[in-house]
Formats: sequence, C-alpha cells, structure tokens
Amino acid sequence: MASEVETYTDPVNLKVRELLKEVHLDYSPETTKYVHDVVSSIKEAIDQIPENLQVLADVASGFVRDIGADKVEFQFKKPKSIEIGGSYSIQCIAKPDVNIDLLLRLPKECFHEKDYLNHRYHAKRCLYLCIIKKYLNLSSSVQNVRWSTFQNEARKPILVVYPAVKLFENPGLVVRIIPTATSLFSVAKLNLERNNVRAVNQGDVLQATPKYNSSILEDMFLEDNTEFIRRTFLEWKELREALILLKVWARQRSSIYAHDCLNGSLISIIMAYLATKSGGNRINNSMNAMQILRVTLDFIANSKLWDQGLLFQPQGGHNISKEQRGTYLWSFPIVISDPFAGFNLVFRMTKNGFQELRGEAALALICIDKCKDGGFDEIFLTKIDFPAKYDCCIRLNLKGNGEVSASGFCLDDECWRSYEQKVLSLMHRGLTKRAKFVRVIWRNTTLDCNFENGLAILDREPLFIGILVSSTEEAFKKAIMGPSPENKDEALEFRNFWGDIATLRQFRDGEIAEAVVWEHKEWERHLIIKEIIEHILSRHLSLSEENICTIVDQLDFSLLHGNGDPKNLLDAFDDLSKRLRLLNDIPLKISSVQPLDSAFRLTSVFTPTPHPLAYEKGVGLKLQKFTSTCIQPLEVMIQLEGSGNWPMDDVAIEKTKSAFLLRIGESLQSNWGMTCIATENDVDVFMSGYAFRLKILHEKGLSLLKRQIGGDQAKRVLCTDKQLFLCGQHSSMINGLHGRYSIYGPVVRLAKRWVSAHLFSASLTDEAIELLVAYLFLNPLPFYAPSSRISGFLRFLRLLSEYDWAFSPLVVDINGDLTPGDKKEINEKFMLSRKGYEENMQNVNPAMFLATAYDQTSEAWTRSSPTQAELRRLMAYARSSVSLLTKLILQDQPDSYRWECIFRTPLNNYDAAILLHRDKMPYPSHLLFPSELNQGRRVVCGNASKLFNPFMLPEDIKGSLDELKNKLMVNFDPVRCFVGDLEKKFPNRFKVWYDSLGGDAIGLTWEKAIKKRERGDTCEEEKDLLDALKAVGEVGKGFVRSIHLLKAPRLS
Amino acid sequence: MAIEDSWKKLKRATVDRLSKPLGLKREKDKNKEEKNKMRNSNLVGSEESLNSFKERKKKNKSSRQKRSRNEGDKVDSEEVHHFHMKDESDEVDRGKRKSKVLGNKKRKNEIIKETMPVEVDKLHNEWESGFDEHNVANEVEEKKRSISRKKKRKHQKLEKAEVDKVDELCNDVKDIANSKNGKSKKAHKMKKKDQLSSRKDVKLLERRGDAEEDEVYQIFAGDDDCSKGMKKWITEYHQSRPGLKILQQRIDDFITTHEAQEEEARKEREAQAAEGGWTVVVHHKGRKKTTDSESGIAVGSVAQAAVMDKMAKKKSKEVGLDFYRFQKREAQRNEIMMLQSKFEQDKKRIQQLRAARKFRPY
Repeated sequence: MASEVETYTDPVNLKVRELLKEVHLDYSPETTKYVHDVVSSIKEAIDQIPENLQVLADVASGFVRDIGADKVEFQFKKPKSIEIGGSYSIQCIAKPDVNIDLLLRLPKECFHEKDYLNHRYHAKRCLYLCIIKKYLNLSSSVQNVRWSTFQNEARKPILVVYPAVKLFENPGLVVRIIPTATSLFSVAKLNLERNNVRAVNQGDVLQATPKYNSSILEDMFLEDNTEFIRRTFLEWKELREALILLKVWARQRSSIYAHDCLNGSLISIIMAYLATKSGGNRINNSMNAMQILRVTLDFIANSKLWDQGLLFQPQGGHNISKEQRGTYLWSFPIVISDPFAGFNLVFRMTKNGFQELRGEAALALICIDKCKDGGFDEIFLTKIDFPAKYDCCIRLNLKGNGEVSASGFCLDDECWRSYEQKVLSLMHRGLTKRAKFVRVIWRNTTLDCNFENGLAILDREPLFIGILVSSTEEAFKKAIMGPSPENKDEALEFRNFWGDIATLRQFRDGEIAEAVVWEHKEWERHLIIKEIIEHILSRHLSLSEENICTIVDQLDFSLLHGNGDPKNLLDAFDDLSKRLRLLNDIPLKISSVQPLDSAFRLTSVFTPTPHPLAYEKGVGLKLQKFTSTCIQPLEVMIQLEGSGNWPMDDVAIEKTKSAFLLRIGESLQSNWGMTCIATENDVDVFMSGYAFRLKILHEKGLSLLKRQIGGDQAKRVLCTDKQLFLCGQHSSMINGLHGRYSIYGPVVRLAKRWVSAHLFSASLTDEAIELLVAYLFLNPLPFYAPSSRISGFLRFLRLLSEYDWAFSPLVVDINGDLTPGDKKEINEKFMLSRKGYEENMQNVNPAMFLATAYDQTSEAWTRSSPTQAELRRLMAYARSSVSLLTKLILQDQPDSYRWECIFRTPLNNYDAAILLHRDKMPYPSHLLFPSELNQGRRVVCGNASKLFNPFMLPEDIKGSLDELKNKLMVNFDPVRCFVGDLEKKFPNRFKVWYDSLGGDAIGLTWEKAIKKRERGDTCEEEKDLLDALKAVGEVGKGFVRSIHLLKAPRLS
Repeated sequence: MAIEDSWKKLKRATVDRLSKPLGLKREKDKNKEEKNKMRNSNLVGSEESLNSFKERKKKNKSSRQKRSRNEGDKVDSEEVHHFHMKDESDEVDRGKRKSKVLGNKKRKNEIIKETMPVEVDKLHNEWESGFDEHNVANEVEEKKRSISRKKKRKHQKLEKAEVDKVDELCNDVKDIANSKNGKSKKAHKMKKKDQLSSRKDVKLLERRGDAEEDEVYQIFAGDDDCSKGMKKWITEYHQSRPGLKILQQRIDDFITTHEAQEEEARKEREAQAAEGGWTVVVHHKGRKKTTDSESGIAVGSVAQAAVMDKMAKKKSKEVGLDFYRFQKREAQRNEIMMLQSKFEQDKKRIQQLRAARKFRPY
C-alpha cells in the first residue's frame, strides 16, 4: 500500500514513466510486422546477387587506395546469415534514433587466411558492401541506401537503408547493415603485440598495432557479444528501462556521446558487467530503473576498478593472464575486456573522453541529490551541447588540410584520431593551468560520404575544441612563466614551443625567466586565451587565421561603449560619502551612504564616463568637440541619524526628506563648490564629472507601510521607502556576488543589452535581469558556473526560454541564507499566487516569480511586469536567439552580420513601428543599429525639433561656465518622456515596446482585438486607427521620424 | 531609364483615355470640385479592380503577400520618381493606387487573422529574408511596375463598359470620399498654419505634392507648441527645476499649511470631545508609551534595549495554537489539505507538461 502511494505521488517516478513512454518504441504487431517485412525485403534483395560474381578493387578504388590494401579481389558469395541485433533485439531503442541493426555475417569463402594483414579485411569488407549497396538500390522496397560508419571509424563503413514504405509512428526508421566477421581469422594472430600493418614501423622495427587488431577482433566477436547482451537484458525489464534512461542521458550530452567515449552499445556492456557476476552483481533484481541508473553512474564516476580494467568472466574456456592484462593497460587508457576473446571492447575510448564521461556522471549524481525532482530535468531534458557546456569553443576548419593525412589515412589508428590527440596535447601545453578541462572532438564522418571515392573528403566537418576555464583570474593572467634561462634544455624547449614571442623577463620577485606576455587593457583580458590558442595553433599546425574560429569576443560589439575604467567612479563615490558624513550644518547627521546604481556594481551596460561640465568649481574645463548635453545621474542612498521629530504621514515624510536633501545640496554647494540641481522629488549633485542623485531612506517609513498592507497585490504600489530599501538590499547583495564571480558583470551587461535591444525594456527590469544571471552562477547544474561572457549569455537565454515559469518559483539565494523554513514559505506564497491559474491562464501575477532573501514574495521587481503575454513573447525571442547563437558557434559563419542578428530585432513583429530621429536621442553613440523600415505603410512622418541637441553646439560653448552648466540636462530622456506620455494618453489601446538603452525604434501592438462592428465599417475602423496613429505622432512631435502601420488589428 | 520613360508615356496615355468617362460626370455635378470627382471615379475603379482581382485571385495567391507588404515603399519610391508630373494624371494614379492598397488590406486582414499569434521563432530568419528582399528590391520594383501597368489597362476597359453604373456606385462610395475629403481639408488648414512657421517645410510640401497629404500625415516639429512633444518635455524639465531657494520655499509653505491643518484637526477633535462634556478615557494596556503621539517627543526614559530585554524574559502568556485538541486536529487536517492540493496541482502540471511535450528529450 505504502509503496503504491509513493510511486503514485512521487513526481520523479511519474516523470520517468512519462519519459519512458515518450522514448520507448512500441512493439505493436504493426511495428513488428513492418520491421519483419523490411528486413525480409532486404534479404530478398541480397539474395538477388549472383553467386561467384567477380569483385575487383575498382568498385571502390578510392577506398582501397586510401587504406593501403593490396590483393583484394574475391568472388562474391552470399552472406552466411542476416540477423537483427543491437538495441531493437533487446527492446531498448530510445526514440528519436530508431535504428534496426542488421548483422550480416561475411562468408569465409571470400577471405584468405592472411587477410587480416594490411587492411585487406577492411577493403574486402567495404567492397562486399558496395556490391550489396548496388543491388539494394535496385530493389523497389528501398528508397535510398547511404554510407555511414561504425562508431565513426572510417575504415569500417556500414550501410544505412531507408525503406520505401514509412512507418506511420516512426517515419525516421532506418536499417543499418553491419558486417560481422565471425571466425574469419585466428585470434592468436590478432594479439595486441603483433604488427599487422606493415607500414607501421620505426626504422626496421615493426610496431605493434593494437587498435588495428582490435578493430578486426571487434567484428569477429560482434555477434557473440550481441547475444551475450541480449541474454542479460531480455528478461529484465528494469535493466532495459535503465538502459534507455542512460541512453537519453548520454545523448543529451554531445561531448560524451561520441566516438572516443560512449555509445549505446557501450552503455549496455557496462551495465551488463555490473549486472553479472563479473561486476559483482552490483545491479540486482530488486532495483528499479532509477536505482540502476544511479548505481551505474556512480560506478562510472567513482569506481577504482577502472584503473585495473574491467574484466568479464570469460565464456568458453578463454582466460586472460596477468601479463596480458598488463599489456592491455599499457596499450589502452581504459579497458573492458570482452567475455569471449578478451580483446578490449573500448579500444576507441581516449583518456580525454573518459575523463569527460566521469565528470558528466559525477555531475549527474550531484543533480540527483541537489536538484528539484531528483534532477529529472537536468539529467534527461536539458541539452548539453558544446556551446552551452564549454566556456570557450574553437572551431578548426581543416578542409583540404594536407597535413592531417600526411603519413597516410589509416595506420594503427586513423589519421583523424591522431590529429585530435595532437591538438589536445598542444592545448594542454599552451593553456596549462588556465583550462580546467579541454575536450577535442572531430566528428569527421557524416552521413552520406561516398567511401568508394576515397577518404580524402572526410575532413569536411570542423574539429571542435571545448575549454572549461579553471577560473577567470587564472585565465586572465597576462604572463606565462617559463623556465629560468640557466636551465638550457628546458629554456630551448620553451622557446621552440612559443617562438618569437618568448622573451627573457625579470619578475617582481627578482626571478629571471623565459616568459610570454600578453598586454591587454582590463576589459580586454578575456582575449588573452584566444590569442594563446591562435598563436599555438598557427605555429604548430600551420593553420591560417581564417581556419581558426575562436568564440570569445564575437558579441563584444554590443558593449563597445562604456568599457571605461570604473576606478574613477568608485573614487568619486568614496569622496562623496566622506563629504556627506562630514557635513555638520544640517540638523541631523548622515549616518550611512550606500551606492544604488548598477554602475557601482559594474553591471550597467554603459559605465558612465566623467562629464567635463560636472566638476566642482575651480576644476579646469576642457570641452571636447562632442560634449553631451545630457548626463545620467547615479543613485546614492543616504540614511540619517534617528530622530523622533519626523512627521507621521507619508506625504509629509517625503516633503521633509526633500527639505533635508535641499539643505544637504546647499551645504555641499557652499562647502565644496559642487553644483546642485533639484526638483521637488530629486536632488542631483555634480562631482568629479559625475552626477549623483541623493535619496534618503527613512526607516520609520518601512514600518508605516506594514500597517497599510492589504488590498490587491498587483495594484499596490510600493512606497518610496520600501522601494529604496529593496534597492539597497539588492545592490549590496549583487555587489557581493560580483566579488565572487568576476565574469558576472559582463554577462549581465550582455543580457541587459539583449533585453532592451528586443524592446523589452518595459517588461523586464534591470534588477530582475541581474537576479536571473545571478541564478546561473548560484545554481549552475547541470553545468559548471559559466566562466566566459558568451557561455554565460547563452545560458541566460536558455534559462529565460526553458524555465518552467508557470509552475516554479525561481529562488535566488545569493548568500545561502535561506533556511528550509524560508523556502517552504516562498513555495506557499508562490502557490498562493498561482491559485488563479485554473480560472484564468492569462492572468497570473507575477508571471515570473523571483524570490530572494530580501523579497520572498516577489514583489520587488516582477510584480507587474512581465505579464503572462510579455513573458511568452520574451521566451519566444529567447528561444530563437538560443538557436541562432548555438548555430553560430557550431557552424561556419565567417561574417559578423549574423552575430549582430542576435541583437537586431525584426520590426515586422509589431503591429506598428515608430522610428525616432536619431540625432535627437540623448546619447546617439548608445544606438546599436540604426533602424529603417521598408515594409508596411508609412502613415506619419515628422520633422525633428530644433530645441534639443544631444551635443553642445559650438555657439553654446562660448558662454560662461554657469550658463553652460545650466544647459546640462540631468536625466533628460525624450524616449522615456514619449513612452510615458503615450501610456498616459492611450492606456488601453497600445502596448508600447521600447529600448531604454538608446534604440531608435518603438514597437506598438494593439492591446486587444477590436470588436467587429457591422460589416462595411472597415473604412471607419481604418480611419479610427489612422487617427490614433496620427495622435501618437502628435504626442511625439519633434521626435518622431515616421510611423509605419504593419498589421491592422484583429477583428473579432 | 528607358523603362521609366515608357512608363510615363503609358501613364499619360492612360489619363487621356480616362478623361472620357469622367467628362460625362463633370457635366452632371458641376459644383463639386474636380479633384473630388477624380477621386470618386477612382474609387469606383477600385471597386472594379477588386472584382477583377477576385477573378485573378488564384493566379496571384503566391505573390500577393509580398506585394501588399511592399505596397508602402512602392508608394514612396514611385512618388520620388514622378513628383514632377504635376498634371492630373499623378492624382489619378495615386488615388487608384490607394484604393488598391485598401483592397489589399482587406484581404491582408483576413490573412493576418490567422497568422496573428506571434511566430517569432522564425524571427532571425525573417530578418535575413528581409535583408535579401532589400537586395532584390530593385527587381521587384520593375516587376511590380509592369504588373500595375497591365492592371491599369484592364481597368480602362472595364470602366468603359460600365459607364452607366458609375453614378450609382458613385453614391455608394460618397461617404467614404467625403470623409476623406474632410480630412484633407483639415490637413490643409494645418498646413497653412505651419507654412507660416517654417519655410523649409513649404518647400518640402511643394515637392511632395498635394496628393500625398492624406497618404502620409506630416507632423511638424512644433517648436512653439508647448502642449505636446519635444517642446513640452523640455519645458517641463526646466519648469521642474526652479532653483533651490524656490523649492525650499515651496516645501516650507507646504509644511506650514500641513501643520496648520493638523493643528486644526486636533483642535476640532478636542472641541468635539469637550462639546459633549465628556472625555473618553481609554485604558492603555501594556507598557507605558515612550513617545507622545502628538508631538513625537520621547517622554519616558526607558532604553529600548532594556524594554526588549524585559519583553524577552517575560513568559509568553498566550496559549499556543495546539492547546485544544480540536486545534491540533484542525492543523493536521489543514496540512493534509495542503498536501492534497499540492498533489492535485502536481497532477495538473504533469498533464500540462505532457501536453507541451515536456517529457520528450528531443
């Protein structure tokens, strides 16, 4: 009873069931019959091939030539048997890859006893398939036959058959024809230490060819091993389910589901090992699928057995001696010896791949423990591809590079695999401690390469290098220190590796050593890693620059402005707070000064630069040609010492605060000569080139608020003190986080830029963006915390698009100070906010529930926006940007235009678009891309006002300093004014989308569908609409360049 | 260039032919402005063209959307080409074109109705295609021109055939035309006003020609109009910064009146209490107040910390919520209810996730 309830209520089990239902191939009568029909039609087609057909090398002359085989003629005989093997036979197919493996046993008559030598076997195997391909193509039941490879091994091609009749549920079903070589050769001749490729020699000494031998042995025992696996899995449902789950897990991770690491059959072999006596029956009958998964992952991640190699209990009298085991471990990094001949089943696995595998398995185990619902989403549903996982991706284009195959395509190993190793070792040597992990994969065989014509075409796909940066500090180090020059051999080696850029340097501690130094400004230090990589690759692999694509700085164009040194600003702030504390001609002393603006925590897109007119009196004035007329104030929060004299109602409190601020301003003006500009609500002071906006937090105002609580959640407006308090809390928390992760700032800046570039400034507040990005660093699973701006930005977009906003609160626990009780409370608050969901899907507030330690009810930043509709739009935009960015990283895109598209927003997604006069924007340099529209219908066009100019005019500059200072406008932003007026004038007609960071386009969408009146009134309606747009133009008189009508409102 | 010339010639020819049926009408209503008439007839033409469009619907299906999307810039570009032709032909053409736009619009609306849900998934792709379109814009332009030429010829024929019907139809579309007219008059007034204000604009207007005014609504900078736009924002900016002294004064005034009001309210309260001859005595429970509620001045001299300390030491007299059995039971029941509701929500969520194919790892 108890267990039943548990399985029913436990969300993990429920989800796993659902997942299995999704990926499991249904063995319904129709499916099995279909498969049977397809297979028998293939058999029939093969039966059509005439016996004793003479097969010559010229059928696939290119292939035979490239693998260096001789004497390959044979007479065609029918295959000994054709059986279904692989995952279909053990009912472990995981959709969407529905492959049916057809094991085709090559007839012994076609081979000579000594054909294991010099790739003869491989050549004949290929020729045999060529013949079959030819005849299959003639068959009417076959739509197409293509080449593929067995585990990316080019010398072992296989055939993929696309049946002419498609299965309704699984149209992608294909049959793979895999030749096997059961008992073709003597096992002893293929011993690891023997040389079977005569070309592999050093001087006159022949080298052992362990990989080549294993490659043949694999074919010889493929059928036996398949049968062995089948026996283990067939009667064990949980084991089969666990295998499917593991396959799903592995396939989501492109870095481990690769030729040098894991594949479906290897997973089944490892599981078979654990489930039999060989592996100590670690998996037993009482476990369910998730438990088996966990045991397997734990074994992969933590077992010490891997160091000794996994040995299956030998089947049929074969035994492995101790020496043999030693040879194995010496020849291969990882060993799983097969139960029949004792050859290494994982001979393709590299050390690099295995480390990656262990890392991923360990991460998955952490996910199970730490994440919600047993890490279900993280383990099974999150796609972990190269761009998302690695901090730095490098794409090498090696097309037509002769060096790859300079010494032949296939020796013991294939040339592409050797090249991978070469690149990897270079990377290790060049990056040393900068990289935590480097992964090199070259998936060089694609579907449909014509093996008949040779192997030269196999370099078309790019090679990928993924780098996990160990820490930003390490990666940003300017120098690589080499050995001391006295150590001559090492110094010479160092010089050889680095070339001309290695110099002799004396370091601060007096040490003299060889060194390589990269000089970069503070905000360009992420480029160092790129330069190191490009230098060593071009030096040692003689690759030209256009063939090395390092994904590091492609998005930097969006942050070009505002990279200024923040030190000036922070110094100015320190001075200001000192001056404020020292003021003694005001009634109450200032007890604390706290920065609020995002510029202080280095997360604002544009770090402000000192303005020549914003200095104190007496500071020399140098006006450049383009002196901005606008200046953005930076908010600073002040607290006064306590007093009982404060008034009790909030209007009076605000007035008193203003009075205080005015006094402070006056005092600063008279004491330090700082200009003070004030309105009834804001007081700005100029200092060291910056404008600071002073705000007073009155603690009593907070308790005042608590009394007034009640009423509608969404409509409630937070009082100024509460808002200030939240800002202060947020600011100090983010400041702390920035200290822990130095890459946090740039990622936030990219994220903010993206949000506003797509005109979402009104939907998502800056603070909310900061919290979202903070979440990436605090809850990185199933990844590591990002260490580069591009990976961080990509993951921000993914978080936005993939997070389950409707059903989960996003809890950002910056200092880890939420207790379980707090978390429970947050959850309850969240549930409360979602109560209305059933009745009305559209109206859930807040649509994006962001809870933090200082704001458990998510009322600070996302209370009223984004709304459900805005969030949906945001998610759709994010999704599309994710796919574009991923594509850009993975595929060859040399031009920068496509990268810009991530920040270009298509204006045809709005119902109407307003273009503004670019030269009337307050900061023209902040504009990313000038917008032009040649679609839709231009309804309104307007002239620019002459009253405002973003830059001081030459005739203005001649005036006196005071006059000039009066011309300087603090916090004047026509875009904000315009949007504010629009929202006031048309509260329910338009939804306004705009860019607060200097975009020159504003999007309008009709708020709701206009009710359809009687027919024939369309003209009236259109007139109405046009009038509205004209009124919009009037509101923005002097600022609006043109208005374009793109879509008329829906009629309903 | 050659194409353009021939295009112009053709247009003139078109106008000549057109004037025939129009002549008939001119005799009928002499009072009306010529321009107006032209428009009406054109609207009729558009009606007909709509019919012919329907016939050709199938043919044009594929190219329609593109055309309608480009309509706007077509108008623009052609204006640029022909603005110097100040004869009537220009007017005629434009009117016709406009009505075409209207026709297209109607159909576009239908299409849009279906495609409205934002499909931004293709966002970037669309961008690209937009870019491509830009590149081939010239080509498209050429094609369009030839298409519209053909159309025009057809209209002519139809018009000749249906001269008789013109009057009836004329009445039908009168309203529309009138409303359009009204607007244009308004625009005229505006224009006159603004002509005085800036000379540059006058030039611009002349160049644009009369017909454009209700096609693209022109807004002038309005640098002397304080109620809207840039001027308003700048004025507001300066008005809100009158200087520290004045601001200080305002706040002082506010505080004085505020305090006076408060005082008055207090007096009133006291007076009210005194009036009845009664004073309501309220029993104050708990600790003595430390501040006077009226003046906010600290009265007692009890340190805050000491009070807190004392409070903490005092045993809470309140009975816990689990004192009675029914309370316990209720709490338990509540918890179970909570769990149940959570379970229900989980189930619902799973259903939703299933519907959204959230369990599909690909």
